[in-house]
Parts: sequence; C-alpha cells; structure tokens
Amino acid sequence: MAEFMTPIEAARKGKAKILVLGSHPAIVQSILDFDFISGKKSPSVLGLITGNRKAEKYFFGQSEMLIPCYPAIDAVPSEIKKQINWMLNLQSGRRAFESTIGFFEAFPQALGGHIFAENMPEKHATELISRFGSKYLIAGPSGVGLLIPGSLKLGAIGGVDLRQISASKLSTPGSVAVVSTSGGMTNELIRAVADAGKRLSFAAAIGGDRFPITPLTDMLKLAESDTNTKALVYFGELGGVDEYEIVDMLKSKRFTKPVVAYIAGVIDEAFDEHMQFGHAKALVSRKDESARAKRAALRSAGVIASDTFPEFLEEISKLSGTREISRNVKLYDIDKLMKREKSILSTREIINIEKAVSFVKGKKLAVNGEHIFVKATLEALLGRPVKSKITTGFAEAVFTSLIDHGGHVSGAVNTMITARAGKDLVSSLAAGLLTIGPRFGGAVNAAAKVWLAGVSGKTSPSAFVESESRKAAIIPGIGHLKYRVGLPDPRVEALSKFALLLKKHPYYDFARGIEKVTTGKNGKLILNIDGVIAALFLDILSECEGFSAKELLEFTDAELFNAFFVIPRSVGFISHFIEQKKNDEGLFRLPEELLFVRKKES
Amino acid sequence: MPRIKLTEYRAKKLLLGDAYRGIPIIANEKPELPKLGRFAVKVDQGVKKRMKKGLVLLDQSPRAISGVVSKLRKNGLASSPTGGFSRFLAEPMLRHNEKDEQYVSFERVREGIRFMHAKAGGIEIESNPEAVETFILRNAADVKAAAQKTKLPENFLKHALEVFENNFFAFLEINPLVVINGKAEPLDAAVLVDSAGAFFVKDAWTADDIVEKTAGSRAEKNIEELAKTSPASFKLNVLNPNGSLFFLLSGGGGSIVIADEAELRGAGKEIGNYGEYSGGPTRGETYLYAKEVIGLLIKSKAKRKALIIAGGVANFTDVKQTFMGVIDALAENCEKLNKAGVKVFVRRGGPNEKEGLELMKNFLKKEKLLGSVYGSDAVITKAVDDAIKFIKVNRH
Repeated sequence: MAEFMTPIEAARKGKAKILVLGSHPAIVQSILDFDFISGKKSPSVLGLITGNRKAEKYFFGQSEMLIPCYPAIDAVPSEIKKQINWMLNLQSGRRAFESTIGFFEAFPQALGGHIFAENMPEKHATELISRFGSKYLIAGPSGVGLLIPGSLKLGAIGGVDLRQISASKLSTPGSVAVVSTSGGMTNELIRAVADAGKRLSFAAAIGGDRFPITPLTDMLKLAESDTNTKALVYFGELGGVDEYEIVDMLKSKRFTKPVVAYIAGVIDEAFDEHMQFGHAKALVSRKDESARAKRAALRSAGVIASDTFPEFLEEISKLSGTREISRNVKLYDIDKLMKREKSILSTREIINIEKAVSFVKGKKLAVNGEHIFVKATLEALLGRPVKSKITTGFAEAVFTSLIDHGGHVSGAVNTMITARAGKDLVSSLAAGLLTIGPRFGGAVNAAAKVWLAGVSGKTSPSAFVESESRKAAIIPGIGHLKYRVGLPDPRVEALSKFALLLKKHPYYDFARGIEKVTTGKNGKLILNIDGVIAALFLDILSECEGFSAKELLEFTDAELFNAFFVIPRSVGFISHFIEQKKNDEGLFRLPEELLFVRKKES
Repeated sequence: MPRIKLTEYRAKKLLLGDAYRGIPIIANEKPELPKLGRFAVKVDQGVKKRMKKGLVLLDQSPRAISGVVSKLRKNGLASSPTGGFSRFLAEPMLRHNEKDEQYVSFERVREGIRFMHAKAGGIEIESNPEAVETFILRNAADVKAAAQKTKLPENFLKHALEVFENNFFAFLEINPLVVINGKAEPLDAAVLVDSAGAFFVKDAWTADDIVEKTAGSRAEKNIEELAKTSPASFKLNVLNPNGSLFFLLSGGGGSIVIADEAELRGAGKEIGNYGEYSGGPTRGETYLYAKEVIGLLIKSKAKRKALIIAGGVANFTDVKQTFMGVIDALAENCEKLNKAGVKVFVRRGGPNEKEGLELMKNFLKKEKLLGSVYGSDAVITKAVDDAIKFIKVNRH
C-alpha cells in the first residue's frame, strides 16, 4: 500500500504534469525555463485549454517546440489526460469557477492547482472550498502560485524572466518554506532566502482574497508535515486575523518549526483614518488587526517577528539547521539561453530539397511508367497527343522537382500566413499563387521568350548580355539568391541531363552560353531552374514534338511555360496549408522588431 | 474583491421586490409622491448613525417631503466638499412597537453564511455580544434550526438567503427588523455586495446603486477610473498634499513595507501619497498613474521633495515596460521638477530588471534628477532611506 504523501512530497517524487486553462505566454514560458534548468527531460506543461489555435510555440532550453492547445478538457487525448496532476488556471475571475470545477471533475486524481484570477466572486471561492478545499492543494484565487524547487513551478511565482529564476536558485531544493498572501513579497522573500545562502523547500503565495481555497493554516500543516522543511519565513500585513491562527497553531504545538516573520503596516499609526491597503483583506477595523499587535502576539508564541525589514533579512540568514540538499546542479549560460529568437512561422518538409530525383541515367531515360496524368496534362496544354516519351519524361521530372522549395519562399509564406488567418484552402492557395511573377516562379515564360529571341535572332550570347546590361535589365532564367558557381542547384543538374537525350539543343546551348558570360561577372548569376526548364522545354517541343519556332512563340504569348511552375507548386502550397491547419498557431503577426517603419514626415 | 455598499433603496428593493413602497429621491429630481400617508425621509448614502446625526426625519406629510430633502441636502455641505447629500429615500411609515425591534445580519464566511440575531434591535452588537446568537447556515436543515431557535419566520430566512445568494451579497444587516403578524419587515437594510459579482447579477444592481464614498481629490478619482479599465491594480490615496515624500510603489505588500520604513525613520507625516500599481500594467497605464503622482508632487509646497519609485522583486510585472511609462510621465515635467530641486530614488526588481533600471538611470542622469537607482541586490527599503536622507538635509 502506498504511504500517504502530501501533494508537495508527491510532486517531488513523481512527475509534475500541468494542464493550463487559458493562456499567458510569459508565465507558461517561465515554467518551461524552470523545467529546463531543473534538468527535466521534457516540459511539465502538457497542454493548454484555449481557443483559436491548435498549438502555441515555446522554447524548451534553446529548442523551439509546440505545446498543443485544445478547445475543451474533453478534447484532450487520453494518453495526455492520464498524466495530468496539476491545474494552472489562468482564466479571468468570471470563468475560473466553472473551469476549476470542470478540471477536478475530469481529473479527480490530481494533486491540486493554482487559480490566478483576481476577481473571483466570494461565493465562488467558498463553493470551491466546500467542494475541493479538503482534498486538493489549491493556491489562490489571486496570488502567484506554488513553487517546489526542481519539481514544480505552478504560476508566475519566482518570476517570468529566466534571469530571475536563475538568480533565485529555483532549481535547487532546500529547507526553508516561504508563505505569504502577497505575491510580490513572496518573490522578494524567495530571493532573500537565496541571497542568504539558503534554499527553498517550497513557496506558496496564497493570494490576498478573503477566502483562499487552501488557507494559511493548511499551508502551515503542509510545512509541518514536510520532512524537507526546517523553518518557515512568513510575510503578513495589517488587517485580517491570519497571524492569530499561526499563534494558535504554535501554542497548540500543531506547528513546531522555527518561524521568522515580518508583519508590515505600522504606517497605519501615522494616520487618523484607516487606510485601505493593497489587499482585499487589509482593511483595519479593530485594534488587534494592527501590525504591532500581531507582532506582539506572534512573539508571545515564539516567532521571531522583526520590527524592521533589514532586521527581518538578518534573521533569515541566521536560521540554523537549514541545509541544502546537494545535487549536481548543471550551470547554464543564462545570457546565451536568453538570446534565443523565436521563429515566426513553422512548417514541415514537403519534399527533400537536397536530393533531386534523377530521371536520366547514363544516356537513357531512367523512369519507365505510363505517366498517365502527366501525359493527359501535356495533351490538354498542348492541344494534341504527345509524340515522345522524352517529352512526358521531362514534364514528369519538372513537375516532381518543382512541388516545393521550402517554406521560406514568398509564395509559401503567403499561403501560410493566409491559412493562419483562418482562411480556406482555395484562398490560401490563391494567396501563394499571386506571388508568382517576374521574381518568383514566373520567370520560366520570360526566360523562354529570351531564349527564343536569342536563337532566332542569331545573336551571340556575349552580345546579348552586353545589350541587356546597357539597359540594366535582369535576364530571366539567370541568377539565384542561394545557389552559385561552386554550389549548384541539384535540380538544375538533374534536369540538364535531358540535353543528352536530344540530337540538338540550340536553346539550351544559348542559355548555357549566356550563363558563361554572366557568371564571369558574378558567381550567383548561374542558369537557374526557370531558365533551364524554359530552354530544355523549347528544345524538346521543337525536336521531339515538332513545333515550329512560330508556334513556340505563340505558346510564350499564352504564358504556357509558367504553367509548368504553377501546376506542381500548387501541390506544395496546399501541403503547407494542410500543415498550418494541423498545427494552427493562430493569427500571424510580424514581430515589431522585424519590421522597419519609416516615420511620417511632420 | 472589495465589498461595496448599496443604497438602502436597492437593498430593500432586492429583498422585498415589488412589495417595497420606498421612493428614491436623487438630488434635484421631483419624484412621484403619493398624496396620502405619512413618510420617513432619510439620507441614503451609506452614512452611519443617521438618526443621531439628524439625517432621518419621521412622520412627514407628502407635501413636506421636498422641503425636508432640501434641508437635508444643505445639511451635508459641511462634511462633503462637493456640495452636500444627493440621495434620499422616502418610505411609508410603519407603525410598530419599539420593543418588537430585532437585529439580524448575514455575512458570507468561509464555512457558509454566518447569521446573527438579537432579540433587541437597534443595539450596537459589538458592545453587547452576549445578546447575539450566531449560526452558520450551510443547508436547509441549518435554516430550519435557526428559524426555530430565533422564532423568526422560516420563510423570511429562506427568502433572505435566496436573495443573498442570487445577488452576490457579502453582507446584509437589517437593524431594526420587526415581525408583525408573522411577517418580517425590515425598517432599515444595509447591504455590502461582492463587487466581483457585478458580471453575474446582470442588472440586479449596477454602478448607480452603489453608495459613493465622500469625494476624494481629482488625482484619486482619476486613478479610480483608471483601475476600472484594466486587469492590473491601481490605488492612490492622498495623505499629506504638502508632504516631501511622494511614492510610486509597486505591489500591495512591498508598498506597505516601504511606507513603514518612512514611519520608522520618523518621516511618516512627510508622506504625500500612499498607493501602488501591480499585476502587470502596461506602459501606457503606468504613464497615467505616474502622471497623477508627479502632479501631486509638483503641487506640494514642501521645500525639499523626493520621488520614490520602489517595490519588491516582481513576479510578472515587466519592469522595463512600466519604467518606460514612468519615464514618459517624468519627461513631461522635467523643467518643473528641476526647478523644485526634486530628486528621484529607485529600488526595483523583476522581469527585465536590468534593462529597465538602465533606462531609468540614464534618463535621470540626463535630466539631472538622479538620486539613486538600485535593483534586486539592494534591500527593498533602500530607495526610501536614501530619499529621507535627502530631504532631511538643510531642514529648518
């Protein structure tokens, strides 16, 4: 039979796995950062219940990862459900009541949770206390959550900046417990403990609401039964009677460990009318709710209740018997970790760009097959039956090569952004296709025109380049942003082999001739894929299908050659679209720092 | 969430529904008054001890009511800087025996609803604890037992609780209550509602039904308005308008620690304002808050003045963003601040602390406002300590 463990001990022993209700990216990221520097192999957050997306992007260490988002708890897959044992409720006070009930009904075996909302009605809080207060450890409503070093960060507690998490030494378990209703001061105390050379056993920010689900006395009970905890550091304020409960517990020996406390609020004595300070409860109405009275009462029970904050810090450092549990703590380069930059789009590999499929082996056409679809497509485009296997083979090769060239090209980006705007397939495909033009994917036809003009005009390549240079014109079919002399485009290499199957190839020769001249000026001005497709298609249509130069010119007027890009690239765009829908990260927005905006002139 | 007071009119309307015959009178309006009957006319603005203060006039004829109202209105001028009372209530007189007055109250507590009853009404229950019976009501059985013990009509208790729950009451006090022929009649009713319940009650009670506190200064009013528009938290109280220490503090707990330190160093009376901002406010919101505080500081007639920007180590409030908001507000006032010789003292920690403090330090240096700037490696009270040293120099 398993021995009874408090939720804190259970969190230390087992794997803390959190389901987040709602979202707050900075808080979730801080939990993942805590997990990472605590040496965990995978994040403790398994999913978020939130609408409008299927995934949110986070860093685990320096690697990006997607955390799945579900519209409701019942949409969470069972293999994830059975791991969940903590709730992080980040929803507003209006919704947190219902969703908390939903959570504990779905996960009765959970250990507890944190309710972040500050405006939960009292009625809802008391109802939650009645239903769950005795069964689960729930920090809140309000406050910043629960922290167990190395095991669990449930909330903003300890900070959301990796530097804070690291400076407070939150990955190292220790023996000092920190408890307060004040979120900010809980963090100040956590840092004070670390600065004093000690470490936390756990820290809990109960929240400043009138009815915290797990009240102060229960937190003390946890601290008492927790074998790791050797002392308690507490921050309180004027107003309310919480501290008298501590006195009771001490006097009746239900709490026996050393307590160092600071009760703030002597400032109230300086004024005639009682002030309403930060928290809902801190409204002084009776004398004994004053800071001084509480300090006196605590002292009578053996608590070290300091009169000034610096003295309080002294007392923390003087706590004896608090030992750090030694652990091999890996030191991380925090500055390096913080330099990580989030990608702004994610997609999957559609085809293997590095490998170009080879359709010509030796001097023979290497692909045998019926090519029914490609043949039918060519016949539809050309308006007559295809005569040669070379033509079909070349179209097959071209279509296969052009399906996709990565998610960073303009058309794919357009498609993905449109998909993330929640648009349909056709709209997203159209958005990508509309990028196709003289600079992207649409140069095949323009190159064909150039090769036709060059060959029929019997110009020499160098003379042609010269005249174009004088016009400062770009030669379509020439040039690439990535590939260059010494770093060839594998697709161009593979397709060029089709020239070996032909008896003559004047257009291809002309194109290569142009390349020789242009690469002499700039290594990036290679014959690119648009150019080689245009050239070889002209040669094949001419030699294998018997089209005249005039007919070929008519085809370029109808932009036929661009169709050889549009047809296969549509497949690629649609594939990116499907990927966006699958891992929907919600509406895209360009990060401000990536956009330069020139100010309006005044 | 804070418990806020409703008007007596709304409290009774919720409790009694259409059976309630009270007539609310607001400032200059001329209400529809019945021609017959006798009326009690009261100030309905959450004022305690009304009878003693002469703010309740009994047994008035319908014709006398408007005269009574204007008299009561002027009555309030001395205590309220904005022009006297503006809300009144006229109710048909209920003839009853003073001996029959009882006390009941309901309050939401952790375990359920705490119900208190005293056979003798109109008393100060705090000074006569032995006269009061207390019950915790959790279910129908508890209600039945309480009704039996107190001899109050069970239906009344049930109904009061239903109204209490449905309308998100936090506290309901009926003092006095009279039971006539088995029917419970509240002569007075005070209700505190849970302001977090506003969303859930739809229109059962709205901002119009809330008793306004005595008007504060314009700065405090502005911050109240700001707080309504944001999930972050903003509070401002003017203490000594001519003080020499003005605070821009973050966090409820930390702000009290810092104010305490001023008191401990004997400078408690020099505090111009108390307040805090927390819960992740934006740059723009912080700018608006800082603007008010800086305005108060500039108006102060103190010879030496300091601005203290301080707080604990924040969990999730962005120090860089909030400091940019403060800098925005300071930038608008540099000339005036320099002329008054004001210096700024800072101690703050939290997300983006390094960048935030650097921005602040560079700005203060440039504008000759630099007192001192510290981060989480200094004690939380550092800034206020430095500020007090500063103002104590050359004091006459």
